[in-house]
Amino acid sequence: MPKFTKPTWFAFGWLGLMLFFVLFGWLLPFKPWSFVYENDLEVGLFSSGHILGTDSNGYDMLASVVAGTRISIFIAIASVGLGGLIGSILGIFSAYLRGKIDTVMVTIFNVGLSVPNLVLALALVSVLATNVDINQAVPTWRRVMVLVMSLTIVLIPILGRIARGATLSWAGREFVTAARSMGMKDSKIILKHIVPNVLPALIAVAFLAVGVVIIAEASLSILGVGIPDGASWGGMIARGRNDLEYAPHVLYVPLVFLALTVISTNHLGDVVRSKLDSREAKV
Amino acid sequence: MLRISFWLQRLGQLLVVLLLVTFGVSLLLRLIPVDLATILLPVASEEERVILRTELGFDKGPIGYYLQWLGNFVQGDFGKIYFSGGTENVSDHLKAAMPRSLLLMVYTQILALSIAIPLGVLSAYRAGRRADKIISNSLFALSSIPNFAIALLLIIFIGVKLAWLPTLGYAPLADGVWEHFKYMIMPVISLSVGLITTYTRLLRADMIAALREDYVTMAASKGLSDRRILWRHVLRPSSVTLMTSAALSMGGLIGGAIVIESIFATYGVGFEVFAAIAGRQYVAMQSTVAVIALFYVFFNLVVDISSGFIDPRTRDRRVNA
Repeated sequence: MPKFTKPTWFAFGWLGLMLFFVLFGWLLPFKPWSFVYENDLEVGLFSSGHILGTDSNGYDMLASVVAGTRISIFIAIASVGLGGLIGSILGIFSAYLRGKIDTVMVTIFNVGLSVPNLVLALALVSVLATNVDINQAVPTWRRVMVLVMSLTIVLIPILGRIARGATLSWAGREFVTAARSMGMKDSKIILKHIVPNVLPALIAVAFLAVGVVIIAEASLSILGVGIPDGASWGGMIARGRNDLEYAPHVLYVPLVFLALTVISTNHLGDVVRSKLDSREAKV
Repeated sequence: MLRISFWLQRLGQLLVVLLLVTFGVSLLLRLIPVDLATILLPVASEEERVILRTELGFDKGPIGYYLQWLGNFVQGDFGKIYFSGGTENVSDHLKAAMPRSLLLMVYTQILALSIAIPLGVLSAYRAGRRADKIISNSLFALSSIPNFAIALLLIIFIGVKLAWLPTLGYAPLADGVWEHFKYMIMPVISLSVGLITTYTRLLRADMIAALREDYVTMAASKGLSDRRILWRHVLRPSSVTLMTSAALSMGGLIGGAIVIESIFATYGVGFEVFAAIAGRQYVAMQSTVAVIALFYVFFNLVVDISSGFIDPRTRDRRVNA
């Protein structure tokens, strides 16, 4: 059992709570987040019946934020998972094989990196979400899929380049040369010797990427191209903006959830990386 | 000899990246399942759409369209924005937006660097002590707060509750310096907090490494003061990573400040991209994204050139890299 510091325990606890909301949020005894409490508009924090208050539509903030957790965290995990998988496969192979494939891959990564993340995500969302019938609204589940796809594409070059860099530094080590001289197949060398060594670095970056994606989703929602109708943290922030003079808590609640989640993932990413550095130092 | 071929190669790489970015955006437009001419001219007659299609080259296939767009772009014709009353030139929009973005970027960098450098030097000098822990931990917490959250909090407290600063709009420098800064203070603070945390961490790590070098021991044994060693002998070689990161973030600030620009209505280049996308002005989007990529590539080149001047030792290293 490794010894964790207090902030690390907090990060685990908070992320655990968020995962609980994602998986079992629907079991909690709430009315749906979009249920309108007509007599309780803009109730403040810690009022009876509404622990986190309500917004100007009469939506209960606690129910909203739990529903928002589900979409925000789902988008983050799905796009980091997909982007990490595709990015690391591309990065590891191009660094291991070198030569022309590597040159092409690096160029593709650089192309992706030369447009600011949010601009790329915006462009992808707008293209992917265009309906054949322009006037028809895009349903929420399709919005979520479009966001996951766009953010995955944005993440591939970022994570791919890190996987490539890590692979480069391991592929030149003696044990890889030894394995090759023993006649081990390339695929087996990659699986047995490269992947286990590259993985910790990738996990550290994946934690940071989750934070980046959560913020990106919120930014897109603030710009009005994310999840409409406020079913995500970003959507809640976007709605709270209209009301910040009279009911700032509508803004604070999703902001606090978002910030604590990002702090937790960033912290865990740091913990993994510092474990990794100390291991590197021993080698 | 080696250096000239290195620069030519580097320039070639960047040019390839630029061409591929613009071609990629161009291809992306072809993926839209709707006829582009219909989107640009929703109420026009079929004849007008046919004219538009030939004018923009939509009828020529992906490569023909791209070449025509590229030819126009290189000559400074960035295309038009179409709306029900007529058209506007994208280049006019960019002419208005570019100075705003550039000023926003310059102020943000100045503020971020002038806070991050002293903090980084201090926390490296006192590494592991209380001052370092306080700085590092509070910056870590700040780094997790997205810039739009800082922007919204500033609006609530400084803009609405205290009513010290206007929350929306922009005033050019011609309207007076104070008037100009009144509109710039909050956007600049929101953008620089994230950069301060990144810069301080980078500088701290590099300076701690540089402090272990032999020439530092040498300088200390010669009897130089700590202050002189830190600022004259350690800061300069440690600032290469910092300067690289600063230059790269400039490219990002030109187009990447979309959310801040739209929250404060400082309509810069990022907002132009967003407006083009939201208004389905895909030609304008293509040209604006190309301009942003151009800036990114330019600042990349600046990094390559300037890191050789900051630390001459890297010149030979980069050739081999």
